Amino acid sequence: MTGIDDLKVLVDYAVDHGKSKSDAIIARAVLSSDAQVRFSQNNIDISKTWRSLEMQIFAVVNGTKTGSTARAVATKADVEKAVDDLVAFTSKLPDSMFYAGLEDSVSKYPEVQDRYDSNIDTFVEESTEIVNSAIDAALQEGAKRVAGALMVTKQHFFFRSSLGPEGSLKKTGHELNVRALQDELDYSGQGLHSGTLPSRSEKEMIEAGARAGRLSKQAIGAVQGEPGIYDLVLTPTVAANVLGRVPAQANPFVIMMGMSPLSDKMGEQIAPDFITAFDDPLFPGGIESTPFDWEGTPSRRTNIIEGGVLKSLLHNTTTARMYDTESTGSSRLARMGMGMRMLLPGESNIVFENGSMKLQDLLDTDRPTVYVTNNWYTRFQNQQSGDFSTIPRDAMFLVEKGELTPIKNVRISDNTMRMLSNIDALGNDRTQVYWWEVRTPTMIPTMRIRDCRITAATL
Amino acid sequence: MKDGMELAEFCVDYSEGLGCDYAEARYVEGFSRGLVYRNSQPVSGGVTPSSGIGVRILVGGSMGFASIDRMDRGLAEEAITKAYRIAKNATRKTPIDLGEPVENRAKWKMKVKQSLEDVGIEDIMETCAELNKCMEGLASYLLMVTPRIERKYFISSEGTSIASEVSRIMIVAILTAAAKVGSEQRYLDFTLAGGWERIREENLFTKLADEVARLRNAAENAVMVKELLDQPVDMIVGQEVAGIIAHENVGHPSEGDRIMGREGAQAGESFWRDLKLGESRVGSDVVNVSEDPTIPNTSGYYEYDDEGVKSRKRELVKNGIINEPLLNREFGARFGLGSNAAARAVSYNREPIIRMANTYFEPGDHSFDELVEDVKLGVFMRSFQEWNIDDRRYQSKYTGSEAYLIRNGEVTDTLVRRPVMETTSVGMLSSIDAVSRNLSFEFPGTCGKSDPMQGVPVYAGGGEIRFRGIRLGGVG
Repeated sequence: MTGIDDLKVLVDYAVDHGKSKSDAIIARAVLSSDAQVRFSQNNIDISKTWRSLEMQIFAVVNGTKTGSTARAVATKADVEKAVDDLVAFTSKLPDSMFYAGLEDSVSKYPEVQDRYDSNIDTFVEESTEIVNSAIDAALQEGAKRVAGALMVTKQHFFFRSSLGPEGSLKKTGHELNVRALQDELDYSGQGLHSGTLPSRSEKEMIEAGARAGRLSKQAIGAVQGEPGIYDLVLTPTVAANVLGRVPAQANPFVIMMGMSPLSDKMGEQIAPDFITAFDDPLFPGGIESTPFDWEGTPSRRTNIIEGGVLKSLLHNTTTARMYDTESTGSSRLARMGMGMRMLLPGESNIVFENGSMKLQDLLDTDRPTVYVTNNWYTRFQNQQSGDFSTIPRDAMFLVEKGELTPIKNVRISDNTMRMLSNIDALGNDRTQVYWWEVRTPTMIPTMRIRDCRITAATL
Repeated sequence: MKDGMELAEFCVDYSEGLGCDYAEARYVEGFSRGLVYRNSQPVSGGVTPSSGIGVRILVGGSMGFASIDRMDRGLAEEAITKAYRIAKNATRKTPIDLGEPVENRAKWKMKVKQSLEDVGIEDIMETCAELNKCMEGLASYLLMVTPRIERKYFISSEGTSIASEVSRIMIVAILTAAAKVGSEQRYLDFTLAGGWERIREENLFTKLADEVARLRNAAENAVMVKELLDQPVDMIVGQEVAGIIAHENVGHPSEGDRIMGREGAQAGESFWRDLKLGESRVGSDVVNVSEDPTIPNTSGYYEYDDEGVKSRKRELVKNGIINEPLLNREFGARFGLGSNAAARAVSYNREPIIRMANTYFEPGDHSFDELVEDVKLGVFMRSFQEWNIDDRRYQSKYTGSEAYLIRNGEVTDTLVRRPVMETTSVGMLSSIDAVSRNLSFEFPGTCGKSDPMQGVPVYAGGGEIRFRGIRLGGVG
């Protein structure tokens, strides 16, 4: 029993078997078929395929004891054992301080556009050709060495809650990362493309290779950057990593953990009035787009920052009741620790309103400015305050009188809330960012930010 | 295990039948239970059994990988055939060579006194309650406890057959202490390797209570000490900071796949690429950093790696000179050195790649007091919070959590707020003039690498280390 048509049968087994043993049970059967091509030094290193059928179950037992499980299943016996194990485990737990109910009304769900690519299987078979074309594009633009990965995912799931809601979704996605390097370690550039319709994205994938190649060539001759205070122009890739995380921290559980800078900021101006950011699970082409959340609440857009003011947190049914408000349709079975899942509020796609400025206009400035095209290894000294540092990598430029001079070896050491409030201008190039360093799909434009602190090694 | 082992053997046979030049299959069966608490109150719990098979094949010099999570021959055939076809289309210019065949047959098991499978959830909750009690009084705290047992069966077309079992107790606490202004935070990983007895053997409750008290003290009392920023000062770091330095500034750049560029687009390359093994100096004479998966009761413990190669200690840096990279079979062949058993796969659905195990500064000949006694002005950074390093592993930053002013040969009671050591790897390692004899692995962690991400449990440590002439705060 491993076909798409069997998902409903497996879920029905779980809910029917579990509903008399629990106060509420939600089961979701997820059939996945993923593939990845990894490459480096202009060669394909490995081609990978994954096949999985996972049953995810959340159960409420004896009032407010909550537990979850996720495991591979194939038969009715597997499903019933999963339910029995979970109920037995959960019944021994103490009451949860983080449970106040589940969605219990049945709704008609909205449609999500551009969610499934019917040519996915053919695309996977030909994915090595696309990769080789992206490598060639980078080399043609001047790269000497090209590395990266193309991941293609296909998933079909069905869910049902013992409280009524049920639904299913077929979805596909892709994630390409191309890094182009010169012979030297210091001169490199990156191109990304991600989305939901891989077979219609071949042109963009090849352009990602070309962009990586161009940037690596522009980075040649990079010199040690001078530390100091600069305006920063951050590409969507960097803006997503550094500032795209702030709306995602509008999460009651993250606040309760002490891991959000937004705990006492509701209603406050935390960004300039031209900044609006929202969670949009219905965004066309969004990698995490879904018509309903994990409990079955219909998806909808939630304005988190509106006109620069913090307007809303993301809620599931539990946190909505704790905060005396309505669920935003943001229930997720989140991963915690090693293999554990918990029903928590969580973001889907984070979307920033687009700006109006062309890149060249953002860079046309008399102020000391650094243009950062990529970054990695963002770490926080304090998540509540937003004190952090991150390391620019790949092409980075000092901007002087409209001229770009490649620089290297500096670090952004600043504060996310201060940077958010210092956004000066937005580009008109909003792009979906989803890669190794950004695991929440984030639609965000290039940002220019005033007076940021750049540091460098002392020894 | 039996069904999984038989299917693993079938996968290897089937791959050979397709025409693969090499095939290996890894069946992994795991079981974990987890609990999460916030400010001592239970949030939720989870139970996660997992099992599946990862198959790696070599076809005409190209590598393929297939993973399945059900013990179904038809599914295995379909997934392996797909991987075979994509790999065959890869048209790799330089064929992958795994070097000399490996034909090891063994069974090994991490030693435990009380199996994690035999521990009742009530006992786990009781332990959690004790741990939570240690954190009372903080502004907020989160506790995650996840005992996990994992059994593997690895078989290859070359005749290798390895069965293994490991047990780990993942314990993570996220602490927030109120400060004069705002707060100070710590992310603490206390992951233990072995059976449930390790909780008591490691005095975990005492350790956690001690860390909580230290964080509260630092949050309430740490101050900026301006004269430390006005001039280069000496710095002594504790074993936890020594561990992260050994891991980030020495362990990662020593990884053979990074050096050869295979991680180029993700975890990055390595400044070791342009150096010569046995010749290039990256640190002072007293710098000796090793990697050793054979140390019992560590997260990095294994007797055979995930390619079936017998594990051994690796001396990465000897007397300040780079000595030996970490290698799996593929990169062992490319370096001409052979594998030194550094291949690890974090799950059945991940390929084995080069990873660290337990990375540490070899102990020196000083006592801690001897390190301190001739420091006129400096800082003792006992622990850290924020850190990062560039993707060539050349420029790092470590920001102190608990740090003390050293003046005239004594560690004072003055707590220094968030001292920053922002240096290059070579600059920092070259400024070391002494390492204490107090080797301790105070940094259990989860090391991230590869795509899809593989977070692998590691330990790191060292003795206390003295650095001379460090300018704190970074430039700028």
